[in-house]
Amino acid sequence: MKSAVLLAVLSLSLSGVASAQFKSEDAIKYRQSAYVTMAWNMARIKASVEGAYNKDDVIKAANVIQAIANSGMGALYQPGTETGKGWEDTRVKPELFTNKEGVGKAAMAFNKEANEMARIAAGGDVAAAKEQFGKLGATCKGCHTDFKIKK
Amino acid sequence: MNGKRLRLWDLPTRLFHWLLVLAIVAAIVSGQLGGNLIVWHGRIGIFIVGLIVFRLAWGVLGSTYARFAQFFPTPARVKAQLRGEWRQPGHNPLGALSVLALLGLIGFQAVSGLFANDDIAFNGPLYDLVDGALSNRLSGLHYLASNGLYLLIALHLGAIVFYRRVKQINLVRPMLTGWHEDKGEGEDARGGGPLALIVALMLAVAAAYGASGAWLPEPPPPPAVEIPAW
Repeated sequence: MKSAVLLAVLSLSLSGVASAQFKSEDAIKYRQSAYVTMAWNMARIKASVEGAYNKDDVIKAANVIQAIANSGMGALYQPGTETGKGWEDTRVKPELFTNKEGVGKAAMAFNKEANEMARIAAGGDVAAAKEQFGKLGATCKGCHTDFKIKK
Repeated sequence: MNGKRLRLWDLPTRLFHWLLVLAIVAAIVSGQLGGNLIVWHGRIGIFIVGLIVFRLAWGVLGSTYARFAQFFPTPARVKAQLRGEWRQPGHNPLGALSVLALLGLIGFQAVSGLFANDDIAFNGPLYDLVDGALSNRLSGLHYLASNGLYLLIALHLGAIVFYRRVKQINLVRPMLTGWHEDKGEGEDARGGGPLALIVALMLAVAAAYGASGAWLPEPPPPPAVEIPAW
């Protein structure tokens, strides 16, 4: 009996810990911080493609966005974080938690363009960087439209 | 009904109308697609500010049927139309309500957009004048109000179809040619000469310039601080 309970607890915990569960407030903070960090780096790329192009700066910025895109942020949308406050009230729509297929598609589109942005940044071609910056921004929008509350 | 045609919409009014149609279509498409087109969305918004201000000025300075005083939809006029007693050329009272609603909402969209941000990398030209929270609020309203605009456009197009199909009146042709085919009791449009046009255009250009933020002081050159290696 004792071992059966132990086994149940063990299997439950093993299946449940594919990724760490955070306090909801922290999970929302991590999400918000990641988006703000990406906004900082989008602004850097924008400044470069619209003004004096700084290849190093674009590489650094694109690498940050690529790293966040590939960081597995989806895990931060853990149960219990549908609403609540991180740095501010979360602006996630309930659809993000129900429309798994849609959010997966939007996220993969973003990953693809973020990887491409980093690849192009390394090449240093201004026109290509500008075009890719637009494509990357469009995938941000693709997710905002369906999954982010407009206030 | 003497069958003689009537000079209804002056050329500036027609040009305004069709330029606004093009600008609104371009604004909707660029806003929906996003990406690098968002930059054009912003430029089109500045152009629309100019168009709206032109129309407001032309509603005072323009020729007879372009004037707000001529078509302002007072309750008495609306009631008269609902009783089926409205015969005058120009905007009828319900049409006038639609005109004012469209001008108001499009004006709101254009102005709110100037202060908005897209949460990605684009800021409206006057974004620097407000704090982030207000910009976010205006961005949200800009997005919400777009639904109202779609509704008004649908009503506008629906009314044109209704007049054509049910009442056998072509509203589009006068907006292209300026002529109302059946003169009836109406008078030809008068006023809105070159001087009025120049004044209205100057006001429009001034408004677009204000909206563009080109007058905002240049950010001071970055202080000569060494950028750290980290």
